[in-house]
Amino acid sequence: MKAQTVRKPILFILLATVLVSMPFYASPYTITTFIRIFYFGLLSLSVGMLIGQLGVVSMAQTAFFAMGAYVLGLIGFERGFPSPWADIIGIVFTLVAAFLFGMISMRTRDMVFMMITLAFGQVLWSLGTQNTSLLHGWLGIVGIRPHTIFGIDFNIQRNFYWASLLIFIICLALYWILIHTPFGLALNGVRDNPRRMASLGYPVYWLKVVFFVISAFFASLGGIMMFYNTGIISPSAMHMSRTSWILLCVILGGANYFWGPVIGTTIAVWFEVLVSQITMRYNTIIGIVFVLVVLFSPSGILGIANSWWKRKNRKSKNQINTTQNV
Amino acid sequence: MNMQITMFILNGITQAALLFILGSGLTLAFGLMRVVNLSHGAFYLLGGYIGYSVFQYTQNWWLALLSGAISIALVGFLFERFMLVRVRNSNLGQTLLTIALSMIIADICLAVWGGTALKIKVPVSLNFPVKLFGVTYPSFRYFLILISIIIGVALYLILYKTKIGAGVRAGVDDRETVDALGINIRAIYSLVFVLSCFLVGIAGVLGATYLNLSPGADTQILTYALVIVIVGGMGSLSGAIVSSLILGQIISFSRGYLPEYSMFLIFIPMVIVLAIRPQGLFGRKL
Repeated sequence: MKAQTVRKPILFILLATVLVSMPFYASPYTITTFIRIFYFGLLSLSVGMLIGQLGVVSMAQTAFFAMGAYVLGLIGFERGFPSPWADIIGIVFTLVAAFLFGMISMRTRDMVFMMITLAFGQVLWSLGTQNTSLLHGWLGIVGIRPHTIFGIDFNIQRNFYWASLLIFIICLALYWILIHTPFGLALNGVRDNPRRMASLGYPVYWLKVVFFVISAFFASLGGIMMFYNTGIISPSAMHMSRTSWILLCVILGGANYFWGPVIGTTIAVWFEVLVSQITMRYNTIIGIVFVLVVLFSPSGILGIANSWWKRKNRKSKNQINTTQNV
Repeated sequence: MNMQITMFILNGITQAALLFILGSGLTLAFGLMRVVNLSHGAFYLLGGYIGYSVFQYTQNWWLALLSGAISIALVGFLFERFMLVRVRNSNLGQTLLTIALSMIIADICLAVWGGTALKIKVPVSLNFPVKLFGVTYPSFRYFLILISIIIGVALYLILYKTKIGAGVRAGVDDRETVDALGINIRAIYSLVFVLSCFLVGIAGVLGATYLNLSPGADTQILTYALVIVIVGGMGSLSGAIVSSLILGQIISFSRGYLPEYSMFLIFIPMVIVLAIRPQGLFGRKL
């Protein structure tokens, strides 16, 4: 126990140093890949927090991911609405949409919830592909570039990298704080025993809706980051293959652990980079990995690590490990 | 103008016929097993492609229909037997497996049949112009409606007039009791899953003939099937009929008048139904 409490901060400082100093030693390609990890990390965080804290699987998060970016592209990039406001309107629009949709979908549970969110995401995807007059169909909105803020030009890759790293860390910290507030604890109660929570006087339904809106916030922030980074938002950003892939990231890392989505995304993005260099049949490989994860490690990499850690501790010291699984 | 509206209504009914074949299997399997088969769309695509290839070699449309249906039933059987049973106690695990399968199937279809749209050309013996209700309409579409009605009646007879059907209906209501009564619920699971795969295989070949096949059709078809289940209520045959009729008309009319929003509009019945009756039109309380 004591060794662990000392080891953890050291590990964090080491990791932070490696990440912050990355532009000084890594190749531009590596840095691009890490920017990808940050924005997809926010998306997988938004999926993972719903699974981990609330026990529901939402397949609508990729739609929220794209929605904020589309609104930003429509009013900011195409119609010249000034910068910070266009971004804010994009996010607020997504939050309102998530609130309305959350009010409908949270009336259902489990598999039905999953079906409804998938149908919602798919319908928005189809809207993106079919609507050519406003959303430009398959092409999407192309050409946005990062701005210069306070004299810092975010077109320079290293500046963009640091900005996304900062946003990503702030979001993780916000999420950490959120789940340790009474609100976050009430959510766990809702996940484990909704009836009891309702009888205790908690507004179970509204707790769920609000948390759904918060998850959409992280997703839309990630989408806007992607939009600025790649310069393009198109329906393929919310295609079902993307939805499945992000779900795989979460399950791979361990949906019930705080770091699960982040670790899963990091591995999956690098895996994507490596596999797509070798073969065209990238989706088949991903699908097979998905099958293997579901069959052999449903609790993800962190789940395996955790049970291995526990077993090792029990063997050596016969002592109960009290690692908190949040 | 009046003729055009008749045409739209007929198109909507044809669309509904296809949607019913798609949705009925999914709703039964979901109602019984509580597992959404998210590879339903990929099965449709694969069935259609297999039917297409068989038709290219033999020029026999009936053989194409049969081979599409049977091969998908076989794929479904193997998948259920060797994959789904391994995570039987987890609904989420099973659903995730169907997602993974759909990724693999869609990718294999892309590798084998390529990215261009393919279409089975209907033999003239099945596709001659018929003049009915004042409009000339291809007979194949009437034929599609007929097949759908036959399937509906057959499903009704199986569900309500046979012992297996009674087991299925009881399983939808209360799985544990059915199991405790000594009925082999596992066998019923497999049977219903294979049946739903068989139906989606048929739908694939019919769709390949009536519409066309291309990558991306799988997710679109899956969306339609999910909306049918959500609107109609899970496990309900009459729900599947009513919701596919509603959806068919919406799709047909919006393609005529609002083509840029035709998929988006199917969202409307879903939202209305969920707001008023979250369990679906004919569904039981969740």
